[in-house]
Amino acid sequence: MSERSDERLTGIEDTVNGKPHLISPEEMVPDRAEAFGAQDEEAVAGVSLWRDAWRRLLRNKLAVFGLIVVILIALASLIGPPIIRWATGYTYDYIPRDPDLIRAFPPFTAPDGSFSWAHPMGTDTAGRDLLARVLIGGRISLLVGIISTLVSLLIGVAYGATAGYLGGRVDNVMMRIVDVLYALPYMMIVIVLLAVFGQRSPMGQLILLFIALGSVSWLTMARIVRGQVISLKNQEFILAARATGVSTPKIIFRHLVPNVLGPVIVYATLTVPSVMLQEAFLSFLGLGVQAPLSSWGSLVAEGIQNIAIFPWQMIFPGATMALTLFSLNFLGDGLRDALDPQMRKV
Amino acid sequence: MFRFIIRRLVITVPLVLVVISLTWGLIRLAPGNFYSSEKALPPAIEKNIREKYGLDKPWYVQYGRMIGNVLRGDFGLSLRYQGQSVNQILAQTLPVSATLGLLAYGLALVVGVAAGTLAAVKQNSRLDYISMALAMLGISVPNFVLGPILVLIFSLNLYWLPPSRWGGFPSWNLVLPVLTLSAVYMAYIARLTRAGMLEVLRSDYIRTARAKGLSERAVIFRHAMRGGLLPVVSFTGPALAFLISGTVVVERIFALPGLGNYFINASLNRDEPLIIGIVAFTSILIMLLNLAVDIAYGLIDPRIRY
Amino acid sequence: MSGLIFGGRRMRGRAIGSTILALTLAIASCSVQSGEAEYFGKTAPPEGQVLRYVSGAEPESLDPQMSTGQPEARLYMALYEGLVEYHPVTLEPIPAIAERWEVSADSTEFTFYLRRNARWSNGEPITAQDFVYTFRRGLSPELASRAAYLAYYIKYAQAYNEGGVFVRDPRTGEFLLKRDVPPSGDESAPSAEGATVIEGGAPDTPFHRFIRSPSRLVLPGTEQERARLFAANPKLKSFVAGKEFVPVRAEDIGVEAVDDYTLRITLDQPAPFFVKLLAHQLFRVVPRKAIERYGEAWTKPGNIITSGPFILQSHRPYSEIVMVRNPYYWDAANVKLDKLIFYPIEDMTTMMNLYKAGYIDATYNHTVPTGWVDFVRRLKDYMDAPEASISYVMINTTRPPMNDIRVRRAFSLAIDRQALAKYLRVVKPLTAFSPEGIFPNYPQPKGEDFNPELARKLLAAAGYRDAAGNYDPSKFPVSEVEYVYNTSDRNKEVAEFLQAQWKQNLGLTIPIRNMEWKTFLDYRAKLNYKGFARGAWVSDYMDPNTFLSLFYTRGGDNGTGWWDPKYMRLLDQANRTLDPQRRYELLAKAEKYLLDACPIIPLATYATNWLKKPYVKGMYPNPMTLHPWKFVYIEHDPAKWDRGMPQMAEVVR
Repeated sequence: MSERSDERLTGIEDTVNGKPHLISPEEMVPDRAEAFGAQDEEAVAGVSLWRDAWRRLLRNKLAVFGLIVVILIALASLIGPPIIRWATGYTYDYIPRDPDLIRAFPPFTAPDGSFSWAHPMGTDTAGRDLLARVLIGGRISLLVGIISTLVSLLIGVAYGATAGYLGGRVDNVMMRIVDVLYALPYMMIVIVLLAVFGQRSPMGQLILLFIALGSVSWLTMARIVRGQVISLKNQEFILAARATGVSTPKIIFRHLVPNVLGPVIVYATLTVPSVMLQEAFLSFLGLGVQAPLSSWGSLVAEGIQNIAIFPWQMIFPGATMALTLFSLNFLGDGLRDALDPQMRKV
Repeated sequence: MFRFIIRRLVITVPLVLVVISLTWGLIRLAPGNFYSSEKALPPAIEKNIREKYGLDKPWYVQYGRMIGNVLRGDFGLSLRYQGQSVNQILAQTLPVSATLGLLAYGLALVVGVAAGTLAAVKQNSRLDYISMALAMLGISVPNFVLGPILVLIFSLNLYWLPPSRWGGFPSWNLVLPVLTLSAVYMAYIARLTRAGMLEVLRSDYIRTARAKGLSERAVIFRHAMRGGLLPVVSFTGPALAFLISGTVVVERIFALPGLGNYFINASLNRDEPLIIGIVAFTSILIMLLNLAVDIAYGLIDPRIRY
Repeated sequence: MSGLIFGGRRMRGRAIGSTILALTLAIASCSVQSGEAEYFGKTAPPEGQVLRYVSGAEPESLDPQMSTGQPEARLYMALYEGLVEYHPVTLEPIPAIAERWEVSADSTEFTFYLRRNARWSNGEPITAQDFVYTFRRGLSPELASRAAYLAYYIKYAQAYNEGGVFVRDPRTGEFLLKRDVPPSGDESAPSAEGATVIEGGAPDTPFHRFIRSPSRLVLPGTEQERARLFAANPKLKSFVAGKEFVPVRAEDIGVEAVDDYTLRITLDQPAPFFVKLLAHQLFRVVPRKAIERYGEAWTKPGNIITSGPFILQSHRPYSEIVMVRNPYYWDAANVKLDKLIFYPIEDMTTMMNLYKAGYIDATYNHTVPTGWVDFVRRLKDYMDAPEASISYVMINTTRPPMNDIRVRRAFSLAIDRQALAKYLRVVKPLTAFSPEGIFPNYPQPKGEDFNPELARKLLAAAGYRDAAGNYDPSKFPVSEVEYVYNTSDRNKEVAEFLQAQWKQNLGLTIPIRNMEWKTFLDYRAKLNYKGFARGAWVSDYMDPNTFLSLFYTRGGDNGTGWWDPKYMRLLDQANRTLDPQRRYELLAKAEKYLLDACPIIPLATYATNWLKKPYVKGMYPNPMTLHPWKFVYIEHDPAKWDRGMPQMAEVVR
């Protein structure tokens, strides 16, 4: 991302700060055009967009809270299972040898019904430690959620911005392609993908999963970005950039994209849950995580069947997932605010 | 505008054909056949079946026949469900899915817009926090979790509502599936509305309207909503297409005879005519709804030109 | 426009936390375990004689000859009747449209005497000609029925279905006979056969003389396939040179209407179990009139004419199928249900919900989810009995390391089937290839059970050992082996359990992989799998042969690549034996031979595992969960309700 002058922005900020409703967006536009465009070419030394955004993010308590929680959960998923194994001997796939132990125990309950620290989240129907399964599941779900969202971000933003900015015939063709891809039966694609590339290593399977997830999630992203860009592209700062002879790719990626990043990030955090849940559906088709490995989506889907009998099997993975999603959303909101200088003081 | 619409409508036809052809290819590439089952068939019986359904013909003959069927608007007979034509299936299941989808989206729209507007007008109030917290919850709780929980509470413990099955329109059977289906959309719309309204409420023309001495109510309903709902409009296209073409999770949980169930099973069964029929229908729906969104977009925001 | 989606930035964490907590409590308080109920949920019977039954997947067709599935079979049993019907408890054949039958001493000829009062739902009589039509239709290549192979025991049936030809000498007009064919050399001499004298029974007819005459030679219908055959057996080529080929017609198969109410079926080979087969849907009589008039649409309500106790009133796909009593049914006076409603539902949780809330009266088999079983089993509406279906692991014996019988045995010995049964809760451990406790008097052989010690020794003997000769897991090529299964919760439970067992007992972590159904079938049938694949088999008829015949051929449902002519001969020998007990002994011998070769690892006999409200009477946990609906009724007097499983010994009228 481009470097840009921070002084100008600070100037605007102060103005807005002082009299919040007196400056209209139209009045702001020339400044903005300079901020994002014209001055850009001069390579003014200053605080980078990212550094600046990061500073603002750290000022947002909820966002910081979200960030910390996400990091904690990620860490727990990473180092939790070995610790559990070391402390109790349980692993995510350990089915007890004793047939009497192959059943669901409630949290903190020993086989004889007394209190026990052995299974803080209880066990699943096969007598496996649910905590270990939730943590292992976190690895997959976080990876899936974040990587495929990033994939969809990269493709969706670039595609949508290009279509929206170029407009006319190019836009028409590009968006019709999106329509066609959107209309194709996703399930058949996955079945064929699996049949052709199915016999790969576990790593290959994981990559296949990312492809399958990323390949559709960018479509809606592209639509949203295009919509945003279309309403932005006739604004003065873009016209100014064009008038000064900035090349088209530069306009798109240096001037337009930074201005739609805010909503894009929020939309991306909204797609994380849907991607995590879609992973559970794809494992039904045989794509992705193979049993006995778990993911939050599959744990929740399993747990919901037993909700009337063993509620903890749904509640713990569900609550962990919900906590993560909440945190990600706080983080997303914070990022959005941090990256969108206009909105900061609202 | 008129020429734009005509152009888009005309191009829909070849696009749908492209979608169908690709789908047809995918079905051919997928392993297994509509007749394969746990019990393997003696080769002779398999041969009989292939001859009966014309699968022994060269691929271009089969493809040509399929395209011919589609152009005539007759998708032929389902391979899996003997004696049922695809057109019949569409005619029977579409009303179910459409009823469910439209009701759910309508509910989501009413509640979502109301909650989002209130939250925006009373920004940072308790109301704002609570409705946005609920919206977050709605987005985070998948419908395959929400549905069973609602059933558990309202059907199995309170015995107020039937736990599942289709009961026609209107009926009490609709309450739980519609609630389940609309939760996520409600949440999305509430967030979208709030965001849009917040932005618009700060803008010039609202200030002007206020300055003219219009009542707050008039400002919000007559002026702010027009611009503030723009994001909701762009969200409506894909959402409606998705809802009307059936949502398999809710249909399965509530045992509803909708299109989604058919589609998933058709894919699993490799039921070619049925897959083609449903894909053709949904692709037309998607393209028309996207067109409608583009038109609406242009009408609401005059800055956008095509 | 930059603020597209905007969230509350300072939402109070507490508000969210308390929302989650409240929801959690609400869910926990709704758990079904509260209270000591006798039955699962509501027990108020529906008004009148109405049964609401969950039948499983949406039926493929209402044409009994088109679909082979069990969900469909349950519907067909209401709409169509055959010569015989299943006994509601034992599933042995009981008289239906045939009121009695005779079997020739060599079990190749069956004469059925039809009731004079059997009628279609339009009031017209059901005659032997209707059955001839039904059998011919079921076998016709044009119908392309998937179940047609079940009728291949009938003489010339396979030839007709496969489009085969007879060979005729153009000069004499005589057909060439099978017994005159010169042998190709590598097969044993054709079994002795010929005209057997049939005692008593129906009168002799020209057709009867034709069908009892020595079998004609049948060759494939296409030039191509014949050429392949001739290449393998040049003597055959010269034998048929200069002869003409006559297609086998529907009229040639061994089914004859001797008169309006006498049907005679002649088989190609002795099949003592043939009558048991006749209750299958393929043989249930279908209405020629409706089929010829409406074509594919004949099963639509309004067009359909039925032969069973019920007629179709309405069919709304994926929603419901409603049937009402057929007033013309011959035993209509004893049909108690006025209405029979089938709900095609597959989601088990949905089913349990409907059942508990009292919206359905009974479900089909395997419908109580594993998690629920412990809870539901204590209640009096749980139906638990052994089933005529087994679960096993198929082994691809064509690839190393599984082409070594010691390795196959080792993997079988390393599974604790008792623990598996306890874990799955609804199966019984099995070491044989036929279900346990299903076939009375069958001397079922025992296979090897859990013995990890021996398993490790076998693997060491197979070469996976260290320098000291002890078993060394690291030598085993784990990457060459996997366990594949088709997606389902139950299959996943089994897969995970097997993996854990092999890990614990052999120190090997075998990867497991799930696949979507049709992909799995394709993968397994082509022997693409490495190592193990999930296998299960449900009986077509109540005889061990329905299981053992899987390995009669190399292809078909075998799926393991293991095939042994000796095994084939053992089966042939058994099925040619007329004394039932002696035949069972020979079948058991064949089964033992199969178990010793170890192309499969038997795991369990399934149990029925379904639910029935106490007021539903006349429905039994039988081994195939097939219920002849005319015996079923709703009991409105709570004193007469079933408390627990219905008495299986109860005599049915």
